[in-house]
Amino acid sequence: MKRFPSFGFQRRKRELQEEIDAHLQMAIADRVARGETAESARQAAAREFGNILLVQDVTRDMWGQAWLEQLGRDLRYALRQLRKSPGFSITATAMLAVAICANSTVFSWIDGTMLRPIPGARNTGDLVSLQRGERNFSPTPPFSYLDYRDLREQNRAFAGILAYHHDWITLTGGAHPERVYIANVSSNYFDVLGIKPLLGRFFLAEEESRPDAVPNVVLGYSLWKTRFAADPAIVGKSIEIARHPVTVIGVAPEGVVGAMPGIREDLWVTLDPLGTEVWRMTHRSGGAVWLNVIGRLRPGVSRAQGAQDLDTVMRNIVAAYPDDHLGENRITLDPMWRSPFGANGYLATTLPILLAFAAVVLLLTGANVATLTLVRFVSRRRELAIRQSLGANRVQLVRQLVMEGVVLSIVAGAVALLLTSWTSKTFAWFFPANSNPVILNGSMDHKVVIGIAVSSLLVGMLCGALPAWRSSHAPAAEVLKAESASISGGSRNRKLLSGLVVAQIALSLPLLICSGLFLRTLRNLANANPGFEQDHILTATVGLNIAGYSHDEEQVIRHKILDRVSALPGVKVTSFTDWIPMTLSHKGEDAYPEGYVPHPHESLQVYHAEVAPRYFESLHIPILEGREFTPDDDEKAPRVLIVDQTAARRYWPGQDPLGKRLRIWGHLFTVVGVARNSTHMLMNESPEPMVYMSFFQVGYETIVQVKTEGNPADFAPAVENTIHEIDPQLPVFDVRPMRESTQIASSFAVVESALAGMFALIGLVLAVTGIYGVVAYRTQMRTHEFGIRMALGASRVDVLRLVLLQGLWLAGTGVALGLAFALGLTRLIARLLYGIGANDPITVVSVVMLLGAMSMAACYLPAHRAVRRNPVTAIREL
Amino acid sequence: MNEKDQYKNRIELLQGTLDMLILQTLQWGQQHGYGIVQALRLRSGDVLQVETGSLYPALHRLERQGWVQSEWKQSESKQKARYYRITAKGKKQLSSDLGRWERIVEAIGSVMYVKPEESES
Repeated sequence: MKRFPSFGFQRRKRELQEEIDAHLQMAIADRVARGETAESARQAAAREFGNILLVQDVTRDMWGQAWLEQLGRDLRYALRQLRKSPGFSITATAMLAVAICANSTVFSWIDGTMLRPIPGARNTGDLVSLQRGERNFSPTPPFSYLDYRDLREQNRAFAGILAYHHDWITLTGGAHPERVYIANVSSNYFDVLGIKPLLGRFFLAEEESRPDAVPNVVLGYSLWKTRFAADPAIVGKSIEIARHPVTVIGVAPEGVVGAMPGIREDLWVTLDPLGTEVWRMTHRSGGAVWLNVIGRLRPGVSRAQGAQDLDTVMRNIVAAYPDDHLGENRITLDPMWRSPFGANGYLATTLPILLAFAAVVLLLTGANVATLTLVRFVSRRRELAIRQSLGANRVQLVRQLVMEGVVLSIVAGAVALLLTSWTSKTFAWFFPANSNPVILNGSMDHKVVIGIAVSSLLVGMLCGALPAWRSSHAPAAEVLKAESASISGGSRNRKLLSGLVVAQIALSLPLLICSGLFLRTLRNLANANPGFEQDHILTATVGLNIAGYSHDEEQVIRHKILDRVSALPGVKVTSFTDWIPMTLSHKGEDAYPEGYVPHPHESLQVYHAEVAPRYFESLHIPILEGREFTPDDDEKAPRVLIVDQTAARRYWPGQDPLGKRLRIWGHLFTVVGVARNSTHMLMNESPEPMVYMSFFQVGYETIVQVKTEGNPADFAPAVENTIHEIDPQLPVFDVRPMRESTQIASSFAVVESALAGMFALIGLVLAVTGIYGVVAYRTQMRTHEFGIRMALGASRVDVLRLVLLQGLWLAGTGVALGLAFALGLTRLIARLLYGIGANDPITVVSVVMLLGAMSMAACYLPAHRAVRRNPVTAIREL
Repeated sequence: MNEKDQYKNRIELLQGTLDMLILQTLQWGQQHGYGIVQALRLRSGDVLQVETGSLYPALHRLERQGWVQSEWKQSESKQKARYYRITAKGKKQLSSDLGRWERIVEAIGSVMYVKPEESES
């Protein structure tokens, strides 16, 4: 029976009209035949027939396809109403668009990072990231190759387990050496990720640990495009890495950047391509613990089952090689979206909270637009009442009023979609250039579009349906006969209005408090003393270790650099290090005091850095006891180290650490000094023990650290040139002031405070305009009443107090509720704060005062207007 | 207060009977809407006054249910009008409606006419 909607609908409508016309014509003809005049017959027939439009309406309902026409009619009606009040329409659309955009932007960032942890990989939901031992916020690679191989071969819960080691290296052979990011990977790396080569092939199982005279390499898409001009015949060709010839066997497809979330890899080689890392491949502890491991769970296997399975295997390994597995060895698994390796560990603590904030903004905006809508509906109550008495039923009215909200939110959603396509790409702005190849950005895909659609629909319902249902309640007869004084929307509307205003204040208060806390955190971070002096310091990385130089060549070049850079005018101190603090990287190693037998499950990991003489001097880190390194602490001298206070306390509490010895990598190092504690990773870290070793004894990477007079950035070209004068083929990169490098440590605080600040500002504006709107509206409604009050002798102050008290009561209730809400919300962000408590009284009090003062001002304006009216004109006004 | 609701209520109240009356009227031959109103009024001796607001929705619903068919024709007075004709399905419906109606009348009657000698209509 159902026809295609609207097909023939117009024709049937016309036919119904003709049918009714015929009916009337026949009735008139009959009456004329009975002797009535044409005019009176026409009138009588029409009277007898009744309401033609209504008959048509009810009849059309019987066709069962009227909904489409109704929808069209409601839509046209809504558009007409919205056009009539452009101020409201534009304001409401703009507010909704901003609120939806806030949500979709944060969601697009989550979507582009946490929800897409490994671009190009198949079903990343099945992938888990393995940790061994104590769970750590920023762990170092946790597995040795032999342990990894045992886990891979003896587990039952995994379809595959891969291992990789992220590093950088120099691409030589071209005009200029180029630093690229490389990963040593297990042979099943691409297989487990579910990635097929664009060209050539990936690694074979027998190649995994086999050194080759000419090793194989897989190129990343962008490197293939930029460095090798997308050569379609690249497979089989020989290129040069760190002055070794290698053969290209394949190219990864576009978008594939490796398995570490948020970090880019440019090319891939096997675990020991040259046979120079045999030690790493054949040991289970110390420097041989170098691999990050990711597993793909078999279908139907839960993460807990997977962890249990691996734990069993690991226990057997520990039992077989107890000396290599001192400390805690339990295996834990993380889904990739919060994998602690790479960027997601940081993002997972930040972005969901920001999304929650954005959701609060959306709710707040919904409440605000609902307030405006309700006020509009109340002022349209006469129109609504007339339409009701003309036969519109309540459901119809509500449908039409809701349609106005839906139209607003659809337009707002479309605007938000446009805005988000731009804002989703702004995430990368927050991450300054640094030595890590961070590739974080938002993405705009179908999930974001669905998110926008859902949130705009929800908010449309909220700001349309609620006021519409309320407004349609008004009994038509009373509205029509009543005068304005008695119908200021009725007490139910008044309650709803008050409720909406209270909700807006209650929602904006926690936003303001959180943003206050974040902003003060940011200021505290900027002013904090990290324990070292980073101004006037320039650092430059020299890729000696990754450019294929022999060890002896390296040492010669290092000394040449030291001599020549020191001689530059304006350079005060030149030193070396292989680590820069507060760049989100660190190196960890097990360290045991001489003769100490560790308890089972005891982890004695320390951070370590290798620094040259005058390192502490140039960073102003005081040596509290003993001495700094000297040029004599070289490879011929006994191994020495300097511990920081935390390490000294851990290993030799209450004793003098000088002269004590620590065993690291199986060698004994003698403590020659104690340095004051300084920040390693983040300002709000809990201090980890740190040992400094002599750069000329065990230094690996070469970072030149220069203390300059004046702006260190000005010295960058001179330092780079000086190094290139020694050898033009030396790769020099990451030349930048230390203050620039350490910015990455506070970038998440910047994201948090920037967004929370923006959201709070929106919240404040909405809350204040909300309370202003409602108080102004109610005051206007009571003009008549105020006129009478003043005519009867009430003073202006009395009326002023009346209005202000009303506004203050609303604000007070909102603030009280908001404080309760804020207590819950600030607990969520406590972890992200620095130098300030989650319930910091100064922040709370100043925010409450700010909100209170703004609310007062918002109430004062309409109150002031009310008392300035002439009572006589006020009484006349209805 | 609400005219449309009232129409709808009336249709529902009369649903069974109005459908039956329309179908019965069409038994005597095809007829247009106005004709049906007139026929019902005449046959009931001016007692049954069918509202157009009930008639047309009912006619269109009956057509949708397949109980009547309609076509446009010239009336005797050269007026183009939509004529409704009862279908075979409609006739079956009419007899079942009639049966139900008789049972209702009988049932109501047996309640009302407990003492037949006192009964007045």
